[in-house]
Amino acid sequence: MSEIFHRLNNTAGRATPGLTRRGFLIGMAAGSAVFGFAGAALQAAKGGKTGQVPGQTPAGFEPTVWYHIDAQGIVTININRAEMGQHVGTALARIVAEELEADWNSVRLRYVDVEPKYAPFVTGGSWSVFNSYYPLSRAGAAGRIALVEAGAKLLSAAPANCVARNGRVIGPAGEISYGEIVARGDLLRTLSAAEVAALPLKPAAQRRLLARETRAIDIPDKTNGKAVFSIDVRVGGMVFGRPLAPPTRNGAAVSAIDDSAAKAVPGYLQTVRIKDPSLVVDGYVVVLAENWMAAMAASEKVKVTWTAGKTAAVTSEKLAEFGRAQIADQAAGTYVINDEGFDHAVSSAARTLERNYSTSLLMHFQMEPLSAIARQTEGGHWELHSGSQWQSLSLPVLSKSLGVPEDRIHMKTYLLGGGFGRRLNDDFVLMAALAAKASGKTVKLMFTREDDCLITSGRTPSVQKLRAAITPDKTIAAFEHHVAAGWATEVIAPALLAKGVGGKLYDPFVVLGAETWYEFGKIRLRSMSNTLVNNTYRTGWQRGVGSGFMNFGIESFVDELAREIGQDPVAFRLAHLRGKGKNAGAPDRSDGGALRQAAVLKRVVELSGYGKRRLPADTALGIATTTGQEREMPTWIACAAQVHVDRKSGVIQCQKLTLVIDCGTVIHPDGALAQAQGGALFGLSIALHEGARFENGQVADRNLDSYTPLRMRDVPEMQIEFARNTYRPMPMGEPPLTVVAPAIANAIFNAVGVRLRELPLRPQAVLAALQSRT
Amino acid sequence: MSTAFKINGQQVSVNDAGDTPLLWVIRDTLGITGTKFGCGIGMCGACTVHVNGRAVRSCLTAVQDVAGAAITTIEGLNPRGEHPLQSAWIRHQVPQCGYCQSGQIMQAAALLKDIPKPTDADINEVMSGNLCRCMAYVRIKAAILDAAAVMRGKKP
Amino acid sequence: MKRIIQSLLGLGVLVGGAFLVYAWHPEIAKIEPPKPESFAAELVEKGRVLAGAGNCASCHTLKGGPDYAGGRGMHTPFGTLYVTNITPDVETGIGGWSEQAFARALRLGLARDGAHLFPGLPYTSYKNITDADVTALYAYFMTRKPVKMEEPKSTIPFPLNVRLFQAGWKLLFFAPTPMQSDPGKSAEWNRGAYLAEGLGHCTACHTPRNILGAEKTGAAHFSGALVDNWYAPSLKGKGDAALPWSANELYAYLRDGGSPLHGVAGGSMGHVIEGLNRLPDQDIRAMAVYFADLSGNPVDPSAQEVATLMARNGMLPASATAEEKRGEVIFKNSCAGCHYNPPGLPNVLRPELSLNSAVTGPDPTNLLRLTLEGVSIADGLKDAYMHGYAIGLSDANVAAVARYLRRTYGPANEEAHSAWNTLDKSVGALRAVGREHK
Ligand code: FES
Ligand code: FES
Repeated sequence: MSEIFHRLNNTAGRATPGLTRRGFLIGMAAGSAVFGFAGAALQAAKGGKTGQVPGQTPAGFEPTVWYHIDAQGIVTININRAEMGQHVGTALARIVAEELEADWNSVRLRYVDVEPKYAPFVTGGSWSVFNSYYPLSRAGAAGRIALVEAGAKLLSAAPANCVARNGRVIGPAGEISYGEIVARGDLLRTLSAAEVAALPLKPAAQRRLLARETRAIDIPDKTNGKAVFSIDVRVGGMVFGRPLAPPTRNGAAVSAIDDSAAKAVPGYLQTVRIKDPSLVVDGYVVVLAENWMAAMAASEKVKVTWTAGKTAAVTSEKLAEFGRAQIADQAAGTYVINDEGFDHAVSSAARTLERNYSTSLLMHFQMEPLSAIARQTEGGHWELHSGSQWQSLSLPVLSKSLGVPEDRIHMKTYLLGGGFGRRLNDDFVLMAALAAKASGKTVKLMFTREDDCLITSGRTPSVQKLRAAITPDKTIAAFEHHVAAGWATEVIAPALLAKGVGGKLYDPFVVLGAETWYEFGKIRLRSMSNTLVNNTYRTGWQRGVGSGFMNFGIESFVDELAREIGQDPVAFRLAHLRGKGKNAGAPDRSDGGALRQAAVLKRVVELSGYGKRRLPADTALGIATTTGQEREMPTWIACAAQVHVDRKSGVIQCQKLTLVIDCGTVIHPDGALAQAQGGALFGLSIALHEGARFENGQVADRNLDSYTPLRMRDVPEMQIEFARNTYRPMPMGEPPLTVVAPAIANAIFNAVGVRLRELPLRPQAVLAALQSRT
Repeated sequence: MSTAFKINGQQVSVNDAGDTPLLWVIRDTLGITGTKFGCGIGMCGACTVHVNGRAVRSCLTAVQDVAGAAITTIEGLNPRGEHPLQSAWIRHQVPQCGYCQSGQIMQAAALLKDIPKPTDADINEVMSGNLCRCMAYVRIKAAILDAAAVMRGKKP
Repeated sequence: MKRIIQSLLGLGVLVGGAFLVYAWHPEIAKIEPPKPESFAAELVEKGRVLAGAGNCASCHTLKGGPDYAGGRGMHTPFGTLYVTNITPDVETGIGGWSEQAFARALRLGLARDGAHLFPGLPYTSYKNITDADVTALYAYFMTRKPVKMEEPKSTIPFPLNVRLFQAGWKLLFFAPTPMQSDPGKSAEWNRGAYLAEGLGHCTACHTPRNILGAEKTGAAHFSGALVDNWYAPSLKGKGDAALPWSANELYAYLRDGGSPLHGVAGGSMGHVIEGLNRLPDQDIRAMAVYFADLSGNPVDPSAQEVATLMARNGMLPASATAEEKRGEVIFKNSCAGCHYNPPGLPNVLRPELSLNSAVTGPDPTNLLRLTLEGVSIADGLKDAYMHGYAIGLSDANVAAVARYLRRTYGPANEEAHSAWNTLDKSVGALRAVGREHK
C-alpha cells in the first residue's frame, strides 16, 4: 500500500516530480518575491535532472510558485487543494507561515486554477497536510533564509546576527519588514535539492503558529453569502442543461429522442445526446434551455427511448449475493497479504471463529448538487468551471473525450459545497463539456438532487468474511479477512491499482485499514472486485473509503473474538497491541507504532468510564479503535459509544461519543476538532441513518424523504481529546468516521446482547435479533 | 406576468412565471447567490430565506405567493454581516464547507425571534430541518445559544 | 344519487299551474345607473365595511381578476356555477339595477328580470340583512368601477339548470321571513347573531347540506361541512379541535386570522378573515360572543390542559406503522422548523398541530390541502405564510405525514372517521383541485 503516495504524483498524466525532490528558486517578478520549487519543465530546459539546481538567474524562468510576498508585505499562499470544509488553505498556509516567520495577519490565500506548475491536483485520502508538511515547511524555511540574508544586507548586519520574526528581519541595530525587503532588496537565491532537504525545521518548542489556535481564513465569507461555490458561477452567454439519466449507468444507448412536446416550453433550446469516447457518461442526454426552470420544465417533456445495459435488473440484494459468491470461491480475487504458514497455523489451532459482515451503498450527498460550466474558447481551448477534487485525474479523460491536448483544458477552481470524495470523480464535468461540445454553446450543467443521486459515485456495498484461529491457550494464531466490494480505482483510476501476491492487482483503497496493528499471528487478506457493482454504477471513493467499512468488520469481529475466548474486549485489544516487530512503527511515519494505539484506547476507557460506570438498563458503552487510512500514515483513534436500545421498537439511540485521537502535531487544533466532530457524526450517520437501496439497476433513494442523514436532533453528547505530542502531523479528514460504526455495534451487543453485522444498524434488525434469541 | 416585492430592503419587480420557485428568482433572475439549492423538496433548508420576517424554504415558494412581501436573504440579514448569529458563527468557527450555512443562519434567526431563550430541545426541533452534511451541528447549536445570550445582553 | 334528484325534480313539474303562479316574479325595470356622486361618502364607506363582512369579494372576484366582476367557478355536487358580475356595468353587471332590484336579489334570490338565482348566492342568510345595510351595500357596489365581463355558463345539467326549478327548491327550503332578535340575549349576542347568520352567511360553509343542497337545520346547524373542497369545522360544542373555542380564542381568530390554540385561517376561511378586517372590534367581539355561546361558552383552557395536550409532542406509539414512522421523519425534517412550539402557550405564528382541527377533525381535507397548497400571505393572519409542498412531496409522502400527525394527535377511535382511511386517494384528487385553484 505504500505505493499509493508515489503513484499519486504520477497520475497527473504527465510526469511531475515528487515535491520533496525539487530544487528551490527565489526570484523577483513585478515588484514581488516569488518562492517556489522549480518545476520539471524548467529543469528539462536547463538540461538538468530532476532534483538538480537550476540556473543562476530566474530571468525567463517560470518556477512553480507556492507563495509570494508583495511590497506591502502581504504573503499570498497558493493553495492547490480543494477547500471543502476542512479549512485546508488555513492549515497549509500555517505550515508555510510558521517556517517563513510570516506575520499571520498578512497571510492571504489564493486557490489556484489548474495549471501544470501547481500539479498534482488532488484533494482526497486525507493526504493534504501529511503530504505537504515537509515541502511547505521547507518552502517557508527557504524563504526565511533568503529574506534574512537580504534583510541583513539592508541592515548592514551579518545574516548570522539577524533573526526573522513575525514578518520582520531583526538585526542587532535595527529591523526591517518583509515588505520593505521585497521593495528594496535583491532576492535572488537558489537552493539545491540537497540544501532544501537539509534545511533545518524549527524545533517544536519554537513554533509560534502550528498547534496554536487560529481562525480559519475561509470562514467569514461563509457566514454572509459571499462565498462562491461552483453552482453560483455565471459566465456570459451560458445556457442551462439538465441531464436525463439512462436506465442503466453503463451500457445504455439512446435509440430515439422526441422533444416535440418540449418545444412548447418557452426558453427550451435543444436536447443533446452525450457521446463519450471514454464511455464515462455515454448514454446520457442533456436538455438545454435559456434558464434553469425552462430546462427543468422541458426535461419533463422530452421523451427519450433507451436500450438499457445489462444491469437493468440489479438490486441491492443481487449486489450482495454476487459478493458472497466471490468470497465463497477460494480462487477468486487477489491476496493482498498471505503470510507463509497461515494454513498450518489454522490447522494447528484449537478452533476458529468465523463471522460475516456487510455494509450498504452510501450516497455522498454533498450539500451542493453537482454542477459544472463548460465552454470552448478561441483556438480550441476549453474553460471548465467546477468544484473538483482530482483535476489531475480528470484531465487525461477530458482530453481524450474532447479530443484536445491537456494544455488546452483550463479548469477553474471554486469552493466545494462538500466533497466527501464525490468530486474525485469528475464525470459531471465531463458531461458538461460534452454537452457544450455537442451544442456549440456555453453550458451550465446542473443536477437536481435526484439526478445527483442517480449518477452516484457512492460508497460501494461490501460483504466481508472474517475468521480467526484460536489456540488452546487462547491466543490468536491466524487472522483472515476477505472482502468483496466495488473497486472504484479499477473503474476510475486503474493506474493506481496496487500489486498483491503473485503480481495480481487490487484496489488499495478498498482494503485501507485492514492491515491492522494487532498481533494476530499469521495474516491473510484477500480482496475481490465485485464486478457486478463496478458494472452497475461507477462506484467511487467516499470519505473513509475502505477503512469505513473494513473497520466495521474488523472491530466488530475483534469484539466477538474477545467474547468468544472469554476476555473483555478492551483487555483483549490491549493484549494484542504490543508494538513489536512490524508493529513497532516507522520513524517519522508511524513513530511509536501500536503502542500509540494502545495509549488512545486506554485513554478513551478512562474518559468514558468504560467498565466502571453503572449505566441504566439496556444502555452500554461499546469500544472500537482504528488507525485511519494507510498504514504509513496512521491516525490513532479510539472511540467509546454509549448507546441505549429500546427493546420495544428496536430504536438505537447513541447518547454519547467519546473519542481520543493521536494525529501527531495538530496543525490547526480547532480545525482538527471540527473534523473530528463532523467526521464522528458522519460515522454515526453511516452507522444508524444511511443506506441506499438499489432497485431496477438504479439508486432508489434519491432525496431526503428516503435517504436520511443524521440531523441536529440525533447529535449525541460528544467528548473529544487529542493526544499532545510533536510527531509528524497525520490526517484528520477521514479517520474519525471509521471508528464509530463498530463502536455502536459493540455497544448494542453490550446493551442488549444482540450482534448486528449489517450496516446500517436498523431497528428492525435489533427486533429480529432480539426475537430470535427468545 | 410581473411580480413586485422587496428583497433586502430594495424594491424589485421580476417577470418570471408565477409558479417559479423564489429560490431561482433570487439566484438566477436577481443574481443573489448566498441562498443555496440543496434538495428542492423542502427537506434540507439550504434555501431558507425570510418572507415578512418568517423563515421559509424558497425552493417551494412560488414567486407569485410573495407579491408585495419583504424578502430577506443572508446578504440582507445584517448590512455588515454582523448579526449576532453571524458573529457567533465566526467566534465558534461553525462553517465547514459552508454550503448549508446561509440556510442555517436564516433559520436560526427566525428561531431566536420566536424563541429568544431556546433550550437544547427547542434548537433540535427547529433546526433539524436544516441538513448539514459536514455535520457541523455541535457548533451550530453552540453558536445559537451564544448568539441568543448576546441578544439578551451578554457580552460576546 | 343524481337520478333520484332528477326524478324528484321531475315530480315538481307535475305540480303545475299553482306552482307557476308562485314561481313567477316580475322584472324590475332597468334604470340609468345612478351617478357615483349621488351616494354619500359615509354610506359608501359603511357599504365597504359590510361588503367585507359579507366577504363578497371572495366569490365575486376571480383570482387576479378585476374586483367584483365575477367569473369565479363555484363547485357544487351538481356542477360548477360561475359567479356573476356585480360591478355597475350596465350590460354585464348590475348597473341597470335599482336598489329595489338589488335588495330583492339579496333577500329573495331573484335577478332583476325576475329569474330565480341559484342558492350559491346565500340569500337564505342575506334575507336577514336590514334595509339600512342593504342601502349601504347598494351604495358601495354602485360606486365601484364598472367592468364589462360576462361569466361563463354554469355546468349544472338540465333540468336542474332551469331557473324555474329554483322556485321549487325555495318552496321546499326557503322561508323569506328574516330572523328576529332574541330579547333573552345581550345586545352584543344579537349583533353577533345578526352578522353571523345574515351578511356573514357563516352557515353557508359550516352547516352541512341535504341532498338537494339546502342547509340542514336543527342539530346540524353549524355542525361542520365539506364545501368546495375545504372542510369548514364544526362550531358547536367541543367542535373538531382538541380544545373548545372560547370567546377569547374566537375573537383572536376572527380579528387576526389566527389564535394560539387553534391555529391560522387558511383556505376559504383566509378570505373570510380578509373581509372581516374591515369590521370594527366590537362587531368581531359580538361574533365571538355569539359563537362562543354555540359552544356552550367554554372558558379559556388552563395552562395545564394545554401543556398536557402539547406534551404528546410528536411521540408516536411503539405500535406505529412503517408509514407513520416515515411520516414522522418527513414531518420533523420538513415541518417542525415552523410548527414546533416549546412548552407553554403556542406561538400563533407557529400553528400548533397537536391542537389543530385540521389534524383532529373528522375530515382530512384541510390538512392535505394546506400541506399541498400552503397558506398565502394575503390570507388570514398577518405575516403568516406557508408554502405548499405540492412540488416537494409525493402523494405517498403527504399521506404519510398526515398519518403520522393523525396517529400522534388524532382521536383514539379512528373508525369514526373513515375519511382518514383513504388518504392516499384523497391526496391525488386534492392535488388536482389545488392545481386548478392556482
Ligand atoms: S433546497 Fe429548499 S429545502 Fe432543500
Ligand atoms: S458546512 Fe458543509 S453542509 Fe454544512
